[in-house]
Amino acid sequence: MAIDPHASPSSRTDPTLAAMKAGFDDDLFVEGADWETVVDAVEDETLTVNMGPQHPSTHGVLRLVLELDGETVTHLRPIVGYLHTGIEKNAEFRTWVQGTTFFTRMDYLAPLFNEAAFSLGVEKLLGIEVPERAQAVRVILMEFNRIASHLVWLATGGMELGSTTVMEFGFREREHILDLFESQSGLRMNHAYIRPGGIAQDTTDDFEARCEALLTLLTERLYDYEDLLTKNPIWNHRLRDVGHITAERCYALGVTGPLLRAAGVPWDLRKAEPYCGYEQYDFEVPTETAGDCYARFLVRLEEMRQSMRIIRQALDTLPGGPVMVADKRIAWPSQQSLGTDGIGNDPAYIRHIMGESMEALINHFKLVTQGFTVPAGQVYSPVESPRGELGYAITSAGTNKPYRVHVREPSFVNLQAANEMTRDHLVADVIVVVASLDPVMGGVDR
Amino acid sequence: MTTLPAPGRGLSGDARSLDDLAARLTDRFGDVTTDLAHGELTVHVAPEQLVAVLTFCRDDEELGCELLADLSGVHWPAGDHVVDRQPSTTGWPEYRIARDEGVIEVLYILRSVSRNHWLRISVGTPDDEPRLPSVTGVYETANFHEREVYDFFGVVFDGHPDLTRILMPDDWLGHPHRKDYPLGGVDIPYKHEKFIPPPDERDLREVVD
Repeated sequence: MAIDPHASPSSRTDPTLAAMKAGFDDDLFVEGADWETVVDAVEDETLTVNMGPQHPSTHGVLRLVLELDGETVTHLRPIVGYLHTGIEKNAEFRTWVQGTTFFTRMDYLAPLFNEAAFSLGVEKLLGIEVPERAQAVRVILMEFNRIASHLVWLATGGMELGSTTVMEFGFREREHILDLFESQSGLRMNHAYIRPGGIAQDTTDDFEARCEALLTLLTERLYDYEDLLTKNPIWNHRLRDVGHITAERCYALGVTGPLLRAAGVPWDLRKAEPYCGYEQYDFEVPTETAGDCYARFLVRLEEMRQSMRIIRQALDTLPGGPVMVADKRIAWPSQQSLGTDGIGNDPAYIRHIMGESMEALINHFKLVTQGFTVPAGQVYSPVESPRGELGYAITSAGTNKPYRVHVREPSFVNLQAANEMTRDHLVADVIVVVASLDPVMGGVDR
Repeated sequence: MTTLPAPGRGLSGDARSLDDLAARLTDRFGDVTTDLAHGELTVHVAPEQLVAVLTFCRDDEELGCELLADLSGVHWPAGDHVVDRQPSTTGWPEYRIARDEGVIEVLYILRSVSRNHWLRISVGTPDDEPRLPSVTGVYETANFHEREVYDFFGVVFDGHPDLTRILMPDDWLGHPHRKDYPLGGVDIPYKHEKFIPPPDERDLREVVD
């Protein structure tokens, strides 16, 4: 029999395939055939598809195992852990101050929130009160960070729906905010700027002017996003009535942050348990009732406005004074200011320890390498991160290193809702839903 | 759950004092102990009470904890536990913990959105055979958290629908957040010019038994 070169390979015609198949169960093999015959052969018609771990719309390395009936999702199972770096374990071998350099790398779109939540927990254990100026600077930078994080959400979410303009807009404005962070901390991301006891160094002289300029710019640009998207028919069609979740289900699944607020609950830790002096600022907690992706978009957009309101008030009332606690057992004795090289410097102090006082040098060395000890105890310190409740459960055994730090990561918890939010949706909607969850895999996998 | 807190109630500040919450729990469950530190309430319960206590916390009018905010583990090994490597300035930490038996402490943070308070439930389980009832039937969100605690500490949660590793690879040996998990068993490449196998070819079975 002449072999037809255009025919599908089959063990009937191909001796190599027939040899491979010999001795095995028939069910193990699928050979080329019409789709109808393949489908008829299996009883269960659902198809299991791996989406990710490398997929442009999964915000990192998230793997979604989709059960598909045709093009409809019947079940979604998120598989995480590809970015696990053992930050919590690492922190057990680092001093309390060094901890901030690790935790800032978890949710890399909201690094300042990680630093702040950890520092607040350590401060609670130490029983110290941070100077007012440090608190206000923390608030200003955290709110800018919230805007930056929401901008990345808007940019990546928009790009996944095919809107490259939104992507350009989001990343363009975010870069201005990162420039501000760089001018204050020396780094665009992963700052380790907020530390137990205060902040690493005082702000630069042009800090307020920079913030003002940035606020003016952002106020103007936020209207652009609204003009571009709020009434955009494609944006509306893709987001409305997609990924619905009710407040009850949010509670059951532990979902917090913009998702819970878009389901109608005005829950915000900045209001409920004010930290860093949030009680002084007048702002609103935006809510929507629809609980779909479009509602989340509106909530996040309004949150950016409210963040700017907070920054405006914090700038107007920015107090002077120290930015680190006075306790010399905790704070470094140097009064650093940021040099042109992006590194904190204090020439007068360096002259003192290098040229005048050996004891001061020893003290500084011990404080930097050994760190300070923290009384034994357990605390839980939550803050409202752009993605929801970010909590640090810190256990100290009374040494210079944490005994155990566990991080309640909102991305990790919120991801559990993905299955419910995508059920009976099309595959294309999975991308919208995952974008609206805004998971950051660095935070999920830690 | 039948009652949904009305929007806005979480912000109205009708919070109960932590003493009231502690009293409410000790009234209902006689043998729980409570302690207040750093302005936080911790309730110590026995493993067999765990599900009942959490269900009560969720359904009770006064407590009204709708959210299981966090679930984490802490390992307290037995003995006068001092990790004996470089107890100097940098490097290995030096703990002084004297305990007769090793315990894995699992901490549940329960949060009430409607009442605006939170409390911590602490439950211990022996570290040689850690086993606890799953609370996924009370709070669905415990699913991922319990998988994480299983992954890191080896605590088996009875009744969990899908207790598999979550952050570590499926074929990983041992539970890395336990204090007795061997660390530093792999030679450092620049020492003694030894051949170091790549990570996926290292045999951890020798160190994790």
